Amino acid sequence: MVKRFLTSSAAWFFLIIFAIFILTPIAFMFTASIMSSKNITKIPYPWFSGEFRWQNYWQAIRGNDGKFLYPRCIWNSFIVATMTSIGTVFLCSLTGFGLAKYKFKGRTIVLLLILATMMIPFEAIMIPLYLIVMNLKMQDTYAGLIVPLIMNAFGVFMMRQFLITFPDELIDAARIDGASEFGIYLRIILPNSTPALATLAVLTFRSQWDNLIWPLLIVQSPQKRTIPLYIIQFATEKYTNEGAMMAAAVIASIPMFILFFTLTNYFLSGAELFAAKKD
Amino acid sequence: MRGVERKKALWGFIFTVPAIVFFAIFNLYPILYAIWMSFHRKDLLSLKPPRFVNLANYVYLFTSESFWNSLKATFIFAAGTFVPMVVLSLAFAALIVSRKRLQRFLQMVYYSPAVLSSVVAASIWLLMFDPRGLANQFLNFLLNTKGVDYRWLANENMLRLATIIVYFWKYVGYFTIIFVAGMASVPRSVHEAATIDGATKGQDFWYITLPLIKPTTLLVCVMTTIQCLRTFSTQYLFVQGGAPLKPIDVVALSIYNTAIRDHRIDRASAMSVLLLLIIMSLSYLQMKISKSEEVSY
Repeated sequence: MVKRFLTSSAAWFFLIIFAIFILTPIAFMFTASIMSSKNITKIPYPWFSGEFRWQNYWQAIRGNDGKFLYPRCIWNSFIVATMTSIGTVFLCSLTGFGLAKYKFKGRTIVLLLILATMMIPFEAIMIPLYLIVMNLKMQDTYAGLIVPLIMNAFGVFMMRQFLITFPDELIDAARIDGASEFGIYLRIILPNSTPALATLAVLTFRSQWDNLIWPLLIVQSPQKRTIPLYIIQFATEKYTNEGAMMAAAVIASIPMFILFFTLTNYFLSGAELFAAKKD
Repeated sequence: MRGVERKKALWGFIFTVPAIVFFAIFNLYPILYAIWMSFHRKDLLSLKPPRFVNLANYVYLFTSESFWNSLKATFIFAAGTFVPMVVLSLAFAALIVSRKRLQRFLQMVYYSPAVLSSVVAASIWLLMFDPRGLANQFLNFLLNTKGVDYRWLANENMLRLATIIVYFWKYVGYFTIIFVAGMASVPRSVHEAATIDGATKGQDFWYITLPLIKPTTLLVCVMTTIQCLRTFSTQYLFVQGGAPLKPIDVVALSIYNTAIRDHRIDRASAMSVLLLLIIMSLSYLQMKISKSEEVSY
């Protein structure tokens, strides 16, 4: 009994220590965002300084040049992430449906090719991709940010795995009722796979919101920047103090935190999907 | 009836056409293009058509000090992240699974840094690694020193460690969740049988859980390795924030700088091809191993 209590306390001890390690930088971000540089660089760091310097937020939104570019950049990120998610959900589920429920010549080859592209690191193809986008005259546009990332092999694979277990009876019944094949996809498949679709949407949204390297290549004009580009620019400007930098970080994180707290299950199941046994 | 089947087959094919077109244009073609470009001489801004130079770009890379430095930086980063990431995410997943209360809460807490974007994560840590920042205060407290500056962003090894810490912090929860899911898929009856046979908690973990979650472990190992080899954001922001480039000039950053700053897309393409080869061979290795390590229960 004593031994069990001891192991249990030890487990909690490690879990809590680790949780503190995880949460400290996040707490630092929130507390520093309302402090002046003087307080932030104080030793030891005053977690509760009693200072509420909301000007930091104003400075982050207004920008050092007073052009209010940050709201614009947030809007850009929002549009790019949303459009990519919608496109990904639609296209990946359509392809996954075709691969899961239809038999046609070359199906295995298509599936294998898609699986093979799952291993291609984006960093290895970004330079040719950049040249392609330039040739298509899509540099510095939303399309350039969205189109090359609108489908991903993982999404197709995930939807195929999900739809393979979809009941055939439902599909056949719709077919007998005279539904077209595309109608089956639209009215039977899509409404009945919301959990998988939502997981895919959340994953895509997050990765686009997070994306740095691709906007860095594609975007040139300041009004077209996404959030990560703005933060890098803002953080390296001479007149940005530490507090304003953290205020910008808080603003960038709030939408993701809201999404995380409302759709926790889809975030966590996104990670869990990787652990699911592959067939 | 055969007509119906053929019509169905046609529709199945039509549904996959967008994907085929997409992956051909945005995945397959770029790879072929990169391979082709890596055998040519081409400047990003010059209008001269690419000139065939055979292996010159590869010869250049393998004789240039900066490319070897990039490989070194990348492998130090990957190796330094890999071990703590896999070991600790496994350990914490085991601890979380063995708890009766607050399982979900702990998962959420550990996962939360993965929700932040990598630029935000890097900018938070940039301030924490400041000479007067929390990282120094913590080390001073731990090592019982007073007011020592450990030069996180200036010293070569400390800088490497700093990028490893940021990455570890951001993704450890993500891999913990994967392990938790893997452990949850082991049927409870197996654990119960072991307990009835008199196995202790530790024995249960070593001889039951660990062998049965082998596919998950392999998956985490490969994903961590591949993701580490692709790392970019933290290094980019730290360099922009004033840290020296050389110790953290990882391959992805080097490709970017070679192409965009130096305009040498030919060399950047050759580096991309090499990165691709490294990652593809690791993935292949993983598939080989995971085939032979299938478990069933």
